[in-house]
Amino acid sequence: MAYMHIGKDFTPPDVPGKVTGRIKYAEDYTREGMVYARLLTSPIPHARVVDIDASEALAMEGVLGMLTADDVYPDGEPQSTGLKMLTNEPTLVGEPILAVAAVDEKTAETAISKISVTFERLPFVLDPLDSLQPGGADAYNGGNTFVFRQGFAVEKWSADQVASFRAGNEPTAEPQQTVAYGDLEAGFGESSYVYEGTFTNAGYPHHSMEPRSALAYWEDGKLYLHGGSQSLTAFADGIAGVIGVPKEDLVFVNAATGGGFGQRARAGSIPVYGVPAKLSQKINRPVMMRVTREEEFTIGGARQGLTGWIKVGFKPDGVMAACDLWIVSDNGGKGGGADAYSAADCISVLYQADAVRFRGTAIGTNTAHRGAQRGPGQNQIAPIISPILDVAADELGISRFDMRKINTPMTGDVGGPQRTPFTSAYMPEALELAAEQFGWDERQSRRRQTNGSKVIGLGIGQGYHNAGRSGMDGIVMMGPDGRLKIHNGVGNLGTYSYASTSRAAAEVLKMPWERVDIITGRTDLHLPITSPQDGSNSIFTNTRAFYGAAQDMLAKIKEIAANDLGGTADEYDISNERVHQIADESVGMTFAEVASRAIQLGGKYTGSADLPEELAEWTQISVSRLAGTGFMGVFHDSIHEGNPPGFTVSCIEIELDKETGKYEILDLINVAESGTIMHPKGMENQLVGGAVWGIGLSGYERHLYDPQNGMPASTGYWQSKVPTYLDTPVKIGTGWVDLPDPENPVGARGVGEPAQGSVSAALTAAITDALDGHIFGASPITADMIINHVAGTSEDSVPLAQNNFRG
Amino acid sequence: MVATSHDVMPDIELYQPADEATALDLAARLGNEGWLLSGGQDTYGWLKDRNKTPSAMIELTQIDAWRGVKEISNGVEIGATTTLTEIANDPLIKSRFGLLAKAASVVASPQIRNVGTLGGNLNQDARCWYYRRGLDCYRAGGNICYADSPEGLNREHALFGASRCVAVSPSDTAPALVALDATMVISSSNGQRTVPAQDYFVGPDRDIVNMTALNEGEILTAVQLPNAWANAEFYWEKVADRNVWDFALVSIAAVFKTSGSTIEDSRVACGAVECVPRRLESVESAIRGQQRSEAVASSAGEMATDGARPLNYNHFKVPLMQNLVKRAIRG
Amino acid sequence: MGEIVRYKRDVWGEEVILGVSWDLLYVVFMAIIVLLVAHAIVMAALAKKNLERPTAEGRKVVRHESVDRWFHWLMAASILALIFTGVSPILGLRIAWLDLHWMSGLLLTFLVVAHIIRASFWQDFKSMLLVPKDFGEPFDSSRKPGKYYFEQKGMHWAVTVVTLAVIVTGVLMFMQIDTPFWDRTNSMAEDQLGLVFLLHGLSTLALVALAATHIYFALRPEKIYYTRSMISGWMSEDELAANHDPGQWSPKEAD
Repeated sequence: MAYMHIGKDFTPPDVPGKVTGRIKYAEDYTREGMVYARLLTSPIPHARVVDIDASEALAMEGVLGMLTADDVYPDGEPQSTGLKMLTNEPTLVGEPILAVAAVDEKTAETAISKISVTFERLPFVLDPLDSLQPGGADAYNGGNTFVFRQGFAVEKWSADQVASFRAGNEPTAEPQQTVAYGDLEAGFGESSYVYEGTFTNAGYPHHSMEPRSALAYWEDGKLYLHGGSQSLTAFADGIAGVIGVPKEDLVFVNAATGGGFGQRARAGSIPVYGVPAKLSQKINRPVMMRVTREEEFTIGGARQGLTGWIKVGFKPDGVMAACDLWIVSDNGGKGGGADAYSAADCISVLYQADAVRFRGTAIGTNTAHRGAQRGPGQNQIAPIISPILDVAADELGISRFDMRKINTPMTGDVGGPQRTPFTSAYMPEALELAAEQFGWDERQSRRRQTNGSKVIGLGIGQGYHNAGRSGMDGIVMMGPDGRLKIHNGVGNLGTYSYASTSRAAAEVLKMPWERVDIITGRTDLHLPITSPQDGSNSIFTNTRAFYGAAQDMLAKIKEIAANDLGGTADEYDISNERVHQIADESVGMTFAEVASRAIQLGGKYTGSADLPEELAEWTQISVSRLAGTGFMGVFHDSIHEGNPPGFTVSCIEIELDKETGKYEILDLINVAESGTIMHPKGMENQLVGGAVWGIGLSGYERHLYDPQNGMPASTGYWQSKVPTYLDTPVKIGTGWVDLPDPENPVGARGVGEPAQGSVSAALTAAITDALDGHIFGASPITADMIINHVAGTSEDSVPLAQNNFRG
Repeated sequence: MVATSHDVMPDIELYQPADEATALDLAARLGNEGWLLSGGQDTYGWLKDRNKTPSAMIELTQIDAWRGVKEISNGVEIGATTTLTEIANDPLIKSRFGLLAKAASVVASPQIRNVGTLGGNLNQDARCWYYRRGLDCYRAGGNICYADSPEGLNREHALFGASRCVAVSPSDTAPALVALDATMVISSSNGQRTVPAQDYFVGPDRDIVNMTALNEGEILTAVQLPNAWANAEFYWEKVADRNVWDFALVSIAAVFKTSGSTIEDSRVACGAVECVPRRLESVESAIRGQQRSEAVASSAGEMATDGARPLNYNHFKVPLMQNLVKRAIRG
Repeated sequence: MGEIVRYKRDVWGEEVILGVSWDLLYVVFMAIIVLLVAHAIVMAALAKKNLERPTAEGRKVVRHESVDRWFHWLMAASILALIFTGVSPILGLRIAWLDLHWMSGLLLTFLVVAHIIRASFWQDFKSMLLVPKDFGEPFDSSRKPGKYYFEQKGMHWAVTVVTLAVIVTGVLMFMQIDTPFWDRTNSMAEDQLGLVFLLHGLSTLALVALAATHIYFALRPEKIYYTRSMISGWMSEDELAANHDPGQWSPKEAD
């Protein structure tokens, strides 16, 4: 398919601003009369605020006011897990309790230091298994778990059950959730190789580089909120409700966001934006709330830690016959996500096991707030399953790549406990491409080759995430100048998808890119609703919506031409910004002329009548504000069928030094299968960025909380070890399959999340390979763990500990 | 409970003396209220989080006499406010004292090395995360250690020389200077004194709140490297979680005088295993006069960790230290 | 110089006691100097009027057995070692004081326990007991005490109380550090720990004052024969007759 824009590189409009520093993030804005807010956070992992004495602080010169949980929740705090704006019942160290506004930050901070808060200390817990112990502390005030739609509950195992799990055995307790398909027993019966073992994945913070600072002010009854979010209209739509302001009275300004990985896409993840909004309302001044790195650690979200047991069986030909998973999830201090279920789903998708059973229980701890992080669940199980596949392959005498090929999903297959068919699945092609690009077969001669204390390890990894939603809206406009304005509500978290998705609309109308304006960055430019920018979905979902909106405009263009020039609409076509008769190209109108006509005609041509019935409320507000001002194409997307997957395959070669536990990544490629590639450079960014973070997941990143007092050790970048330039290879190879998906008009699907999981999987597999098949059953695998394995030493770690070191 | 403050600089007096005498006079007058500032890389975190509250900073980088590398009668003198990048790139240091150039080149990150100074790196405070968090532990003048306890998170902490406090020496240049038999030049308004590098660093048994022998009012102004180990064969290795912007888990600095493959003499020091750079005199004695070989290296490695007392989570430092000593001697 | 107690924040930000304020060391030091110098001056003035001293010549009696003298001097040495090592870091002396400190403390504890047992079962416990009528003794020059006079008993019991306090708190602190016998535990909450440090510090200050006072009086010319008796074990019959009531204390003859 020869496209004008799809599949070609371009410079997204925000790039010059980012390179020059002129683009504005939330903290870059100022407003006349602006004051500064600072947060007072809990020093205690689990407590109740008994008294707040702020008299000295409020009497200080330059201090304008204070906001407490009582102010923002006059009817009492919501009795559920989930982040609060402010709270009097902190369940983790660092949770915001109140905010103080002053003329400058120094005064605000000094005021904070003068506030005396009296706490009632409550028992705290840092490991789900400790909480499951009889007599173990409960992280929340209502219990240690929260059942969806039911409320808090207390879940306990017997001491023997906990001890047995810690000793490496299958948990025998009753799980909260069980999902299964196929005949597990038969599957294991048919298996000639069975692996069984426990594992842990460490949770760790999202650590978005830009913390969630925000500026808020009220003008003429409208709330203006400058913040950072992964999403734009999807976020604004939600935060209006959280703050309690009507959607039509909220303007959300967010031209660019410095990193978002699942916990700043939806309003429920950033309730703290309510703080400057309500404080501004209270003191009648614009309020800039700066969030520090340490506060971002606490309220910025973290991955769920998983403590699990896995049993996998393989038939003699390498087919995965059965997989049994039991996972205890660490829900942190404010409730978590559904990572464990997604982990099981991922195995079902990627390896098409004949039988899968998932049992899971989610328990709260007084640690960081947990929620979706890039590939939640899929990217935790990735580094666990890949070494197991390799060891199985070696045992069965099958090549490790063949092992993946034998079990691969393909178009026509179904995946997950719901047995959902893929919209398409070109994983076999991705595996071939990766093997060939990496030269996998040639490298096998180097496998486990030693050079002094160093040894070569090779690994393969695969990643998956569902990569598309539907049912969103699109709006395109054109004025008498004939320029196409694409009103794009997709957030700008640095993936450029706000621009890539716009390309679909330009493609439909064959607009030269320099004649296109992407209208985005603030919601008072009247933008349609989109899906939140999480879950790797934006490309698939919003391409559908913008393609549809452009199709609507195209149909109207042809209608107007036929109306004015004769004939029927289907006798017309477009080229070079003109609509003309197919039979006689000289008979036609320029787009500029059509647009002027549309404005004259009004009605449906300018969004004033005959709108799609199912437009979301947010879109309706935007459309009503645009109505009559220009030629409009507007569209509400239908719901697609099936599961549009995002797949990645990675190959890695490392040289591991057994004397120091350090390895060098000699070569790494990350290959994508995500339908038609919209924006090659954007895709390359995702694959390289995902690779860096996959190295982080498998090699470095973990939460650390002190069991004596609940203090977080990993609040800063020294203990939260994100990989650096010297930890990642100079060149990370990329590639993509680029075959179209039938459920998207240009064949595109997304791929953000799997790009991390496949590299994480490959790295762990390579480490296992270098160490002669030793499976750690953990992520991350750090240098000390490797040293201890080689030397036969060990630490005093508690087996299967969460939020602590592993031995 | 009174809230602790984080992340906003408080009011603080800044002095920027332009000459030595003024600086020394200020240091004497202000004493512990005058925070000595050069690159500031171990300063602003403390001050912004208000975990240390001096009333003034005395910036030392305007004083030319304390910056630069120069030849002296029997060696080289490095001004204490010379940046780590300058040291790593200095032709004299690179050619004659390659060990120090190498050590300086792996401190932290390039950005930090560009402003961070030798004096700052040597005088840097412990990195124990409890201490850095601002907790009132022994090192902060308190009466407890949070790291050395049955469940303390003490992975990066000491194997040797613990005396209630188990923080380690985090400096990369310090073990290199101990191995090079360097001398620290300390100035005050009362004059100058010199202290051998090995004696400059102080363990918690003798002083639990200070990492160095600097007294109130004193400033480390220069480091002298004698020619005794100039042009010697050297080995430097730093093992850290990350390859940049990280502190050593264990590091080793070694210099050798050899004839053929026989080691005539050596100096070997490890970083990050004790509150001070740990000079391995027993290893030096054991390998004196020996041929480099796997066997000699291995046995020296094992000897190097005699007396180690691992904590909860730093057992790995024992084999790691053994391996680094082995690698240094193996060549 | 205003405060007695220092405070710190515990791990959760709550203000708790840290320990005694060591500014008080200087207060104690100054107080000792002032008071003892004043005493010496006054005594020097009075001494001109009182030249009568008993003689050391003649028959001798046993005042202190060998074991008790060993006990006293070892106890003195260990207390002085404890004070010196304990105060060194406060004064800024960079010596490795801790091991010497607890070793002296263990020695002292052993000696104290041994002394308590011996004094309770093998010696005349009543001779050291302080009863209400003893308080009149300094003001009644006609009264003669038994083996120990009022001020000696007072010093003994003051030192006893303070030494027991310093030992008990010292043992609690000893359990909070790594030793050759155990790895430390986290058995004490920080506010309790602070209280222990405070009591240990206060007892230390008291001990410094008492030790200085005791040494001063032990060196005074009119008391020096008591010091001699603690070294050599004997008093002369003349010294005995001049100061003690034979009905309350009749020691055996020395060899």
